[in-house]
Amino acid sequence: MADIVNVGMNLDAFSQAINAIQALRSSVTRVFDSLKDGMKNKETLEVREKGFISEFQDNLQAVNRDVNELERLSTLVGRPSESHPLHNSGLLSLDPVQDKTPLYSQLLQAYKWSNKLQFHAGLASSLLNQQSLKRSANQMGASAKRRPKVQPSTLVLPPQYVDDVISRIGRMFPEMTIELFRPNGTSAVLLVTLGKVLKAIVVMRSLFIDRTIVRGFHEDVYSEDGKLDIWSKSNYQVFQKVTDHATTALLHYQLPQMPDVVVRSFMTWLRSYIKLFQTPCQRCGKFLQEGLPPTWRDFRTLEAFHDTCRQ
Amino acid sequence: MSRCRDGIRTVLRRALKVPWRFNRRWWVRRTCVCSVCQVPVLEGKSVQQTVDMLHRQLEQLGAMKQGSFWVDCETYHTTGTASGQPSKLLYVMHNSEAPLSCTALFEGGPCLMADGNFDVLMVKLKSHFQNAKGHKVESRGARYRYCDFLVKLGTVTMNSSARGISVEVEYCACVVPGDCWNLIKEFIQSFLGPNVPELPSVFATKAEGLFVPADAVDTMTQYLELFGKVRKQQVLQGASVR
Repeated sequence: MADIVNVGMNLDAFSQAINAIQALRSSVTRVFDSLKDGMKNKETLEVREKGFISEFQDNLQAVNRDVNELERLSTLVGRPSESHPLHNSGLLSLDPVQDKTPLYSQLLQAYKWSNKLQFHAGLASSLLNQQSLKRSANQMGASAKRRPKVQPSTLVLPPQYVDDVISRIGRMFPEMTIELFRPNGTSAVLLVTLGKVLKAIVVMRSLFIDRTIVRGFHEDVYSEDGKLDIWSKSNYQVFQKVTDHATTALLHYQLPQMPDVVVRSFMTWLRSYIKLFQTPCQRCGKFLQEGLPPTWRDFRTLEAFHDTCRQ
Repeated sequence: MSRCRDGIRTVLRRALKVPWRFNRRWWVRRTCVCSVCQVPVLEGKSVQQTVDMLHRQLEQLGAMKQGSFWVDCETYHTTGTASGQPSKLLYVMHNSEAPLSCTALFEGGPCLMADGNFDVLMVKLKSHFQNAKGHKVESRGARYRYCDFLVKLGTVTMNSSARGISVEVEYCACVVPGDCWNLIKEFIQSFLGPNVPELPSVFATKAEGLFVPADAVDTMTQYLELFGKVRKQQVLQGASVR
């Protein structure tokens, strides 16, 4: 900032220096003009040569004088600062009409924001690399909670590929039957029947799980008109709770680069409900709490807990 | 055919306030796991006092009262069989959960679920099955809901005198008795205390084992067993009085 102020104070020196440059240019031009014109037509050769040499010397002395003058002035002007953080854009602050063109303050603001953005992006990328299988991380607070934008390229997987992935997963778990429907266009809807415990409807968008709803084994999954009922919730509180937990699991398992891994992890997690009514809570050791069996399954260990016992 | 029946059923269901479970596909008659047991009358207290105490305990637990229920059972003797064969018993039972149906259980033999006008048919079959008039047993009482549990607390009456208490606990979310028996046991323990029943024999004696879905006949069989016990008690009491 101090440099800018100095430059502002030496504006006179600037104009003098500019004049000196012009003088230097014209004197240099004169040198070459006289060289170009050659010797003037005088009586004798001797006089001619003398006259030419003295004119050339005069011209060169004028150039020398102008160069000296410019050098003197340039020390007065001083060097433009290169250590300013905004480099030459810092000179924008010299604009005397701040109100009309507040460029400099806007520039500073933009600079601050871009710095911040870079910092946060760095943090976010390191966090996301650590927890690549999750869609959210409870412990990380608000910044990591936002769901990363899904790459559009993975949204247009061919239906054949989706069928393959699903049938492979179906073969992995013998106690789970997966039926695949495509009621509207290419998006698949899976009807997962888990033993004689529950039925889950999983609505897919390409290979991303969009929504899931869990109902009892003996509840209807088809609506009155024979279509798969993907909206109405279960009549039983235990399955309403399981539906909530399954939605949490959808947000938890996330890996945009490998969507098939996500579907497989989700199905592995869902399979742990095969013993929904048979396993006591791993913390309190009881079957019931407020009339409900342990409905929560840990995402990593798949252990059963009551909703209130899991913390 | 089935759709048409469903339509009529739906109308009747609304008129008679049939529980929702019989709304769709009533003829499939899938039901949930339920356990029927007899609660001993507390010493020095009457049947009614014991029932009131159980009501209080259920309400303390947070159960909501949801209407009432009844289950009844009529006994028929076979008549006019070939000589030398002992006469067999046929039980015809009704349950308020399925008010349009009735269950007929032949002693030690097959059972069937039929429409309500099976009773009329029995009148027509008078020459083969005779109604044992004094043997009508029924259980009436309140119906409670607690989360996915349905509790029916009834007073068993025979010839209009109270003989015992029945408790039916149904876990509606599960269809496989072997899966959720521990769960039901824990729930019964929470309001009946230590006298928890064993796994009902209907489930244990099934050929396919514990892991087949329960059905409505299982419930009725359990009630029949309970009514049989109550009848025997009466006989014993009668004998001891003599």
